[in-house]
Amino acid sequence: MTTRQENRILAAPVVLFLLAMLGFPTIIDIIYSLSEVSFENLRSPSFNGGQNFVTVFNDAEFWSASWFSLKFGVTTAFAECALGLILAVYLAPIIRNNNWMIAVLIMPMIIAPVMMGLMYRLVLHEFVGSLPHYLYTWFNWSPAFLSRENVFLTVFTIETLQWTPFAFLLFYMAYQAIPSDMREAAAVDGTRPWRMFWYIELPQMAPTIAVGFFIRFIDGFRVFDNIFVLTGSGAGGSTTSLSIYIYLSFFRSGDIGKALAASVVLFCVAFVILFFAGRFLRRKRA
Amino acid sequence: MGTIELKNVKKSFGTTDVIKDVSLIAEEGEFVVFVGPSGCGKSTLLRLISGLEETDDGTIHIDGEDVTKLDPYDRNLSMVFQSYALYPHMSVYENIAFALRTARVPKPEIDRKVREAAETLKLTSYLDRKPKDLSGGQRQRVAIGRAIVREPKGFLFDEPLSNLDAALRTQTRIEIAKLHKQLGSTMIYVTHDQIEAMTLADKIVVLKDGQVMQIGSPKELYARPNSTFVAQFIGSPKMNLLPNGSYDGQAMQFNKNVKITVGSVQGKPTVLGVRPEDITLCDPEASELRAKVAIYEFHGADNNVFVDVPGLGNLNIRADGKLDLKDGQSVGLKVDTSQIHYFDDSGARV
Repeated sequence: MTTRQENRILAAPVVLFLLAMLGFPTIIDIIYSLSEVSFENLRSPSFNGGQNFVTVFNDAEFWSASWFSLKFGVTTAFAECALGLILAVYLAPIIRNNNWMIAVLIMPMIIAPVMMGLMYRLVLHEFVGSLPHYLYTWFNWSPAFLSRENVFLTVFTIETLQWTPFAFLLFYMAYQAIPSDMREAAAVDGTRPWRMFWYIELPQMAPTIAVGFFIRFIDGFRVFDNIFVLTGSGAGGSTTSLSIYIYLSFFRSGDIGKALAASVVLFCVAFVILFFAGRFLRRKRA
Repeated sequence: MGTIELKNVKKSFGTTDVIKDVSLIAEEGEFVVFVGPSGCGKSTLLRLISGLEETDDGTIHIDGEDVTKLDPYDRNLSMVFQSYALYPHMSVYENIAFALRTARVPKPEIDRKVREAAETLKLTSYLDRKPKDLSGGQRQRVAIGRAIVREPKGFLFDEPLSNLDAALRTQTRIEIAKLHKQLGSTMIYVTHDQIEAMTLADKIVVLKDGQVMQIGSPKELYARPNSTFVAQFIGSPKMNLLPNGSYDGQAMQFNKNVKITVGSVQGKPTVLGVRPEDITLCDPEASELRAKVAIYEFHGADNNVFVDVPGLGNLNIRADGKLDLKDGQSVGLKVDTSQIHYFDDSGARV
């Protein structure tokens, strides 16, 4: 048997697994997205051309959901990375001697996002929530956290509070990995702390920061569970992310063709972004 | 401009005293080498001077100004590290220019200085490369270039040649010596290699366990080591030490049968030191010291011979390379009595 054949045989199980678990759904996805289909005729969808895609692109809700996801992904990723970076650099000297602090700082990451949504639903509740209660007691005033105007800021804050520790952990590791003699050489050469950060430390951490931003963006862009539990689609669709839009079309409206057409669009966009991001990162490393 | 002075400097890490009361001075333009075995505190001493470590007690002065409490970036020194510590995201040019940009030197002047330094260090054709595309020797030259463009008050070298191979080490050593002549700046250089110390230094500081054992020019240390430690540390091969002797006014008596006639000596030495090149081999009958050749290594110009002296132990001798020796051969030893070093029981020079 040649090595080539051996390789094929050895790789076969995983290839079959991937074909079954990813390939099959993808093909069904594409077929359904091009068909007239509902829960009644799942087995015999009738081809209707690109009708579903036309519906999706003409749907104002699709565009507002996309805009929400994009805005949510970019702003949370940016805030998490900025806060994480500040924490990592600022706390590094303290944590170096108190390693247990890392465990405390990353605790929010341990909580399931659904639980996070539930928790805030309770905390922010207009009548029984602790936060409005104390705000009323102390200031005689409390904003409507989940109103159409404020809800984005609320979910943005919740997401940022939960996932900043992730960015912090990643950046702290990168910060620690900078060789100390490089800092020392720069210090002896007259480099003050601020310039040291911008010109020596930050460039060393740049690849990690890019990866961290990217991971957080993807995670924010596809957000579903914590927002869905907290506000559902939100007042007037104000918190309908793309994932929630697809979910609602599929399960609430039973509009399977439209939901899958939207998911195919999402897949294509994600693929293009991933492709260019990967190329960008590779070039940065080289 | 450029005197560096340490007054009663002390440093401890936890309960370990790493530097115990060190005082010394590096005069303007002097090349001072700190030498000593691993763990003697020589690198720590350099880090104290640079400000990378805080001094526990005592003061450090640069040009008379007390800099003990100053941060490293305010001391106006430059340091070259064993690991080079180049900035990997910058080109060679940017690496060398970085400190000048920090100091907000005008652009044309930066360019002139960087090219000048590159010329001196033969780096001109590598200016656009990143450090990872350079060899070890080139990287070390970039590190040196980075240090010299700033025209600092003093240069600190922390074992800069340890990561280079033997041939490159010799070559770079000569380049550093040339650079010192050319720049005329104060340099402090840390090494555990006594050959580097001997060849480069105007002044050698021998350290042991955080204390200065002796300070002097290479010649002084070689000719008049003040302790058995310095005597054995400086010089290669090591000086032979013959312990447990007693001086009877004429000769050093070691054993019933072994004595070395030395003439008149002041004090009461118990340890006799003699360098390998100050012993010559002769006919066994013509000498009061007889020995057998245990091992010899042929080095070309000379033979590195170990002989076994009954009742005394092994002695190392540097003999002519033209001599034809055999293992186990009986030889006589003739000691050049004018070159003998005497020490007492505590190891101090008599």
